[in-house]
Amino acid sequence: MGTITFDKVSKVYRGPKDVHALSNVSLNVAEGEFVALLGPSGCGKSTLLNVLAGFDKITDGAMSFDGAPVSKPGPDRGVVFQEAALFPWLNVWQNVVFGPQVQGVAKSEYEPRARQLLDLVGLSAFAESLPVQLSGGMRQRVGIARVLVMNPRALLMDEPFGALDAQTRLSMQQLLLDVWQKLGTTVLFVTHDIDEAILLSDRICVMSARPGRIVRTIPIELKRPRSINSLTSPEFVAYKAAIMKEIQVDGPH
Amino acid sequence: MTTDTTNTASGDKSGTASSAVAWLAAGRGVQRALLALLLPAAVILIWQLAGGRSGSLFGGVLPTPDRVWQAWTVWAFGPTGLGLNPYSGTWFSNLIFSAERVGKGFLFAIIVGVPVGIAIGWNRLVSGVVDPTVQLLRPVPITAWLPFSIAVFGIQDIGAIFLISLGAFFPIVLNSAQGARDVERNLIRAALMMGASRWTVLRRVVLPASLPSIFTGLRIGLGIGWTAVIVAEMVAVKSGLGYVLWDAYYVGRMDVVIADMVSIGLLGLGSDFIILQIQRWVLTWRRLQSFQS
Repeated sequence: MGTITFDKVSKVYRGPKDVHALSNVSLNVAEGEFVALLGPSGCGKSTLLNVLAGFDKITDGAMSFDGAPVSKPGPDRGVVFQEAALFPWLNVWQNVVFGPQVQGVAKSEYEPRARQLLDLVGLSAFAESLPVQLSGGMRQRVGIARVLVMNPRALLMDEPFGALDAQTRLSMQQLLLDVWQKLGTTVLFVTHDIDEAILLSDRICVMSARPGRIVRTIPIELKRPRSINSLTSPEFVAYKAAIMKEIQVDGPH
Repeated sequence: MTTDTTNTASGDKSGTASSAVAWLAAGRGVQRALLALLLPAAVILIWQLAGGRSGSLFGGVLPTPDRVWQAWTVWAFGPTGLGLNPYSGTWFSNLIFSAERVGKGFLFAIIVGVPVGIAIGWNRLVSGVVDPTVQLLRPVPITAWLPFSIAVFGIQDIGAIFLISLGAFFPIVLNSAQGARDVERNLIRAALMMGASRWTVLRRVVLPASLPSIFTGLRIGLGIGWTAVIVAEMVAVKSGLGYVLWDAYYVGRMDVVIADMVSIGLLGLGSDFIILQIQRWVLTWRRLQSFQS
């Protein structure tokens, strides 16, 4: 449940000048694994996420989710967007139950679960609030709750904390660690933040641009359960030093 | 500056800061209303004074405001059915005639225009088939449709309603299409990701996201609807404010003409206000959004 396979995947945006967003990317993500895609902007890491989400088609290669080829978006792959992408006309509760509602899940089934998840992300008191009345961090909590309520087999997160201030980002990382350690869902996490990638993931795929490809895969063997306190441990710092060196090798162009 | 400090001081004395804020806000509201009325009041005053004792300007063509007011009171509240003044007591019924036509035509324009507009903005095929025709018909002014309308519908209500619908239709279609085109891509992706069908996306994402733009279209469309009803009533029907306007002009009752013009203006203003209130209510989320930024 939640296994992801990219086999020599390429994505070319045709135009006056073709853009090779992905070139020959192969990657296997095991059930329950947390993989971070790390790289500068424009390296194709979001494209990789978008094709797996079904938002975009691949040009070449093969891609499957739980053994089946990916053709369109679906609730089995819950996507968390950078700017949360909540429906601004719906309140927090309505946003969270949107998925089960449009899938025709019985109210009696999704209501307790939605309430529980709202509680988990600490927003029970804000069920009636509109997204615009929330802070960026709170909006992103809603964005996470609304995909978790659907019981996805994988979470695809596209720089979900990239727009948050440093302090909020830390608390969101802690929240994600807690949630993931509890649920064990497969996660594919796009980020340009080295600390974030080390802290959260089991494995970091370092990507490079033009054409977008995976240049290094670095397993992170920090003890679990982790918390934001891990950020200052010697092992963490050692990983960070190693990765910074790795990235230095490939750039700048 | 002086008024501000006195207001704040009195508010503090009464004990609550919020009452002071309310006072200031109310004060500002009154101030704005006074400012807004300054220019019309000046125009009316000058107009009245320029007419002098004769009660008219330009050699008897333009009656002064007091004469217009007199004509209006008779028109509105005078006894009906007496042969001497055919307008006496008919203001309200004529107003209802016009408003009803605008209401019907506008409603029809909404029922057709919003779905067509959203379909154009949302679906490339619909856009390719329908949009060129819409763009082709759009530049034909509503007045140019008059002979067509009379020829097809005759001197009847339906002709006026047709013209109003047609006039309101174009801004509603264009703005609805624009709204549907501009829906944030990630909102649609999010809905699809959560398992929504295309129909659900259309109904629960594209439609609400387009509403701010749709309301812009409604307000422009209603304005054109009022233009259309007056034109239609002047030529193609025998009742309503537009009919009275032209009829009064023919018999030289410029006082009634001016009173009629003012009535039309106030009706347009009132109907726009109603839409604005509905918009405020429907788009609370949007109002909060702009308040934040």
